[in-house]
Amino acid sequence: MGAAPGPHGSGLVTPRRVAVTGVGVVAPGGIGVRDFWDLLSNGRTATRGITLFDPTGFRSRIAAEVDFDPAAHGLEPGEADRADRYIQFALVAAREAVKDAGLDLTTDEAWRTGVSLGTAVGGTTRLEHDYVAVSQSGSWWDVDHKRAGPFLHRAFTPATLASAVAEQTGARGPVQTVSTGCTSGLDAIGYAVHSIAEGRMDVCIAGASDSPISPITVACFDAIKATSPNNDDPAHASRPFDADRDGFVLGEGGAVLVLEELEHARARGATVYCEIGGYATFGNAHHMTGLTAEGLEMARAIETALAQAGVAADEIDYVNAHGSGTKQNDRHETAAVKRVLGDHAYKTPMTSIKSMVGHSLGAIGAIELAACVLAMTHQVVPPTANYETPDPECDLDYVPRVARARKLSSVLSVGSGFGGFQSAVVMTRPKEMVS
Amino acid sequence: MSDRLTLEELAALMKKAGITVDPTELASRPHSAFDEYGLDSLGLLGIVGELENRRGRALPTHADRCKTPGEFLDLVNHSLMTGA
Amino acid sequence: MTSRTVITGIGVVAPNGVGADAFWKATQSGLSVLDRVTRAGCEHLPLRVAGEVRGFDPGAMVEDRFLVQTDRFTHHALAAADLALEDARLGRADYEGDPFSVGVVTAAGSGGGEFGQRELQHLWEQGPRFVGPYQSIAWFYAASTGQISIRRGLKGPCGVVASDEAGGLDAFAHAARAIRQGSRAMLVGATEAPLAPYSIVCQLEYEGLSTGEDPERAYRPFTDKACGFVPAEGGAMFVVEDEDEARRRGATVRAVLAGHAATFTGTRRRDVSGEGLAHAIRGALREADCAPEEIDVVFADAIGTPEADAAEAAAIADALGAYGRKVPVTAPKSGTGRAYCAAPALDTAAAVLALEHGVVPPTPNVYDVCHDLDVVTGSARAAELRTALVLSRGRMGSNAALVVRKGA
Repeated sequence: MGAAPGPHGSGLVTPRRVAVTGVGVVAPGGIGVRDFWDLLSNGRTATRGITLFDPTGFRSRIAAEVDFDPAAHGLEPGEADRADRYIQFALVAAREAVKDAGLDLTTDEAWRTGVSLGTAVGGTTRLEHDYVAVSQSGSWWDVDHKRAGPFLHRAFTPATLASAVAEQTGARGPVQTVSTGCTSGLDAIGYAVHSIAEGRMDVCIAGASDSPISPITVACFDAIKATSPNNDDPAHASRPFDADRDGFVLGEGGAVLVLEELEHARARGATVYCEIGGYATFGNAHHMTGLTAEGLEMARAIETALAQAGVAADEIDYVNAHGSGTKQNDRHETAAVKRVLGDHAYKTPMTSIKSMVGHSLGAIGAIELAACVLAMTHQVVPPTANYETPDPECDLDYVPRVARARKLSSVLSVGSGFGGFQSAVVMTRPKEMVS
Repeated sequence: MSDRLTLEELAALMKKAGITVDPTELASRPHSAFDEYGLDSLGLLGIVGELENRRGRALPTHADRCKTPGEFLDLVNHSLMTGA
Repeated sequence: MTSRTVITGIGVVAPNGVGADAFWKATQSGLSVLDRVTRAGCEHLPLRVAGEVRGFDPGAMVEDRFLVQTDRFTHHALAAADLALEDARLGRADYEGDPFSVGVVTAAGSGGGEFGQRELQHLWEQGPRFVGPYQSIAWFYAASTGQISIRRGLKGPCGVVASDEAGGLDAFAHAARAIRQGSRAMLVGATEAPLAPYSIVCQLEYEGLSTGEDPERAYRPFTDKACGFVPAEGGAMFVVEDEDEARRRGATVRAVLAGHAATFTGTRRRDVSGEGLAHAIRGALREADCAPEEIDVVFADAIGTPEADAAEAAAIADALGAYGRKVPVTAPKSGTGRAYCAAPALDTAAAVLALEHGVVPPTPNVYDVCHDLDVVTGSARAAELRTALVLSRGRMGSNAALVVRKGA
């Protein structure tokens, strides 16, 4: 398709810059931006024994759950019935973000406003719930459709996510759901950034949401021993980069950013939190769940995102890590970051908020980018909770347990997903805001 | 039930992971890596899970980290014999 | 630098044929392959008619170790990707020196439903220890992109649009952007396999799903007998490339991806989808720098309900003006079914083949059109074709349009 101005590369025609003007978060231990930041900046953990179902008999029986009351967050009863839990999170986060941005979509603007939301597993919680009914608890392959609940089609179709948020906000431009496993959040936001930079839209409601804490998802991670079996000490079970880490702790939640072409934001007098200048994703073509020790593909994503943003590797002030807390992930991304940042990596704090809010699959990338926006706003690096014992293979500065004040002008966030996806996003504060 | 894991049963389990291998080949190359047979980490995890279900007991936690059929057979059979 | 993105390879796994040649032969003949649902455990459900992929042996095309860890929708994707690469004559030797230069984007609207149902059964009938290791990588929407990337060693930008039907066209926009940003080539497309028992149960409340019993009458878009659409499985993958790179390596340019646009009009009222679709058409034409009169054929979305068909006819009239009544419109999917995200991918394959052959394929099972459109019915129509417009709308409210121009 035609030579629209690209966000990087040769032949570039006056690149459009992309600003973040609104933030909304529904995270374990912190619904709403204020409570979320309070949790992160104080290094508290929201991981605990699973309460959303009875986890007896499962290998990993812990998770980071959101104590979520739809009515208390403004969802009408009918809306709450129709919308799966992960969509409820997105609706609440989007409402907060749009309000924060002071966005008012007139009819003309609606066509230039898009929605880009990620989810890894979509409506699987409701799909499993209704499956149990129609199959007589797994007795029948030829299921009985008359036992199905309403709204099942909405759970089956992941497009419901972006669609529900678009209907709530009035967006009429490109509306898409992105599902690239655990990089869905970074990728949904990254696609939005590129779409705005290219001129396909001026505003985008972008983010991600997942509510995967259901038996089938817990069982599928049990089967590959990806999750932590530290059921006796759930509050300290998510231990990214620590020598004693033993898997990730499943989480849930959602986050939404309002992204806006910078001049569009300035023209309407919106508060600009920061810019997103670079995004890239590559496949590792290696293994659906396995990662290489070298991290070449993630390194490539980081390099590409930095080049797009016009930020040098030694200008990065903070790395928001994927840091899932599996043996292989933390080693992999430490290697990738060192490969690009070189000696500067040792001077750069790199932390994983999954130590506090768990790993909410597709949602976490968006929650992490929301954390990056807040970190830049507060000029504070959130810590890696539970980090105690160094691992010789992970030898960077992971900011153990206590948040740290620091001048943050350029921030990098990275993610890895099942399927081999490796993504990176670079955020910057406009120079005029830093001085 | 503590019947030993045989090469035939291992070959049948590998078949379920999409790897066709003759038991005599496993016998002749017991120390070739699972990788060389085409079996990846998820495949071995599946074999361990299936064996645990068949035998009704847990295998040592490092069973899924064995590198070769020979190593795996030794570990599994030692565990099944001693009840460890 | 032209910065044009071109199609150089097409791979099809469709109810009416595996491979682009077989697919085209059946498509241009107007053959309908809609038939009773025969997939195991589905016979008792109220969905009677569908487009099943029957002439496809995954084991003949894909290694067992990939087959055991993937659902049928990924089997379709792996095979279609192979066919597309072969068609484009793009082999590992062409990119292994720079594997980051070739990526994969798929659209997926229903995921690995059959695999997922089997593992749900293991869990609920036997317990958590009976869930296998592949559930974590087979059920989710990203399975096909990941497995294609791994199996073919493609490390370029990898993406997954998990949207409604229109996402099948949005995937092309993603691929074109990756090309503009420097990728040499992308594998792009969509495949689906929604015909497993529980997946069908999940579709029953889909407004517009036809539960007709007679394969010849269950899906008749644009007629006064329109009673909804029939679902299908299968899909198509494409190799798209930067035009200069393609010509440099001597590839045949089959078509040019000229323009795309997407809009959203919500789920509540089908009739308003027309306004959004018209907006998308205008956007795609603008990007393609294409006048309405340059469109030689329209591959319609053809949902097959009276309101949705009327909205589509209105959109065509709105965006193409008076010419909208004269342009040939076709919907070959009335003979194969509507494979969700894969439906517009198959339509794009048919559009490219139509441009190449100078033939508009007909709309099977459709005879008396009740809208002010020139729907090609009965038999194929020869015509000089340079530019095609492919339309798609999704149940969740998205509308998309793609302009494809003849290659060479």
